[in-house]
Amino acid sequence: MTDLLLFAIFFAVLAAMNLYRLAKGPNAADRMVAGDAMDNTICCAMILFSLYSGRGVYLDIALLAALFGIVDTILVGRYLEKGRGL
Amino acid sequence: MQKTKTPAVVATFVVCYAFWILLTWSFAAQELIVGAVVSLLVALFAARFFIHAKAGWLANPAKFFACLGFWLFTFPVELIKANVNMAKICFGGCKAINPGIVKVPTAMKSDYGLAAVSNSITLTPGTITMEVAEDPNEQRNYLYVHWINVEETDPQKAGEAIKGTLEKGLRRVWE
Amino acid sequence: MVLRIVCDVFFLVSLVFALAGTKGIIKMPDTFSRMQASTCVSTLGVLGVVIGGILYAAIAMHSASAAIKIGVIGLMIMVTNPIGSHVLARGAYKAGIRPDKPMETDDLGRDFDE
Repeated sequence: MTDLLLFAIFFAVLAAMNLYRLAKGPNAADRMVAGDAMDNTICCAMILFSLYSGRGVYLDIALLAALFGIVDTILVGRYLEKGRGL
Repeated sequence: MQKTKTPAVVATFVVCYAFWILLTWSFAAQELIVGAVVSLLVALFAARFFIHAKAGWLANPAKFFACLGFWLFTFPVELIKANVNMAKICFGGCKAINPGIVKVPTAMKSDYGLAAVSNSITLTPGTITMEVAEDPNEQRNYLYVHWINVEETDPQKAGEAIKGTLEKGLRRVWE
Repeated sequence: MVLRIVCDVFFLVSLVFALAGTKGIIKMPDTFSRMQASTCVSTLGVLGVVIGGILYAAIAMHSASAAIKIGVIGLMIMVTNPIGSHVLARGAYKAGIRPDKPMETDDLGRDFDE
């Protein structure tokens, strides 16, 4: 049982490592890449923690994070391309 | 604005209803009825945005099994190979890179085929599709691909190296 | 016991590839190379956790709904990630972001910039 929690903590640490690029990144695209990677990693951590704790709520949150993680990426991409919103 | 077609509405309804059942995961009668009503409303409203071509193209068994074989066997092999290469580059200090944008021709004609091949290229680490262009003289489509380690600059050879096996598998489904 | 070991192997593979992608995002020299590295996180980095999680939820926890939900999470990430990656790369290129070191070949700039 403990191994699931350990892997979840490792994935959370990986997500925290992306904060470096999120804070430093020279332009908006760099920050968005780091944010996208953080989103995916946090999804993994939530799946593992849900399996560890046996609660289904975390799976729903991970599903919504996976679904809506795309929206901000596309928004920033379109904004960079045209200089305005969607 | 396109007209709403009945097969498109049915396909969207099935997907929405499956998602509703997945999220609620209870099989009481009232939940199922409310889900059906909401899915039908959403399908009537949104089907024209989602499906532009024929809705039931996957009902052909030959195409279905070709699709299944591609996504279960051909594509994972390419994915794992590209991932291992990328991991080697990353753990080796990110020095062995030679980025560039190459223009490769593609044999795909239809919208779904182009979307499938360009998304497969983007999903393998090491290559990202950046733009799709059409040549009106030769009736061919071209993809602009950002490649992290450019080995070939000739369009034909670069296309073979980037998407050789992927396109061979996908042409059995669309074309 | 065997199941635990198999699941742990899947999680470990996933962790290794996610670590590779994160290191690439931090260390790579230009924007487009960082995007390439981030694809590593969202393909095998997620897929290992998803496969191991499905095995664990279906066999050890006897929970079909959890297994299906984990599968849908993996499917959603795998389907939506290339679209976002493509839109972001094109937007960054059109916004005038270029690497410091000149690229090997730049066919897009040759064909579209006059």
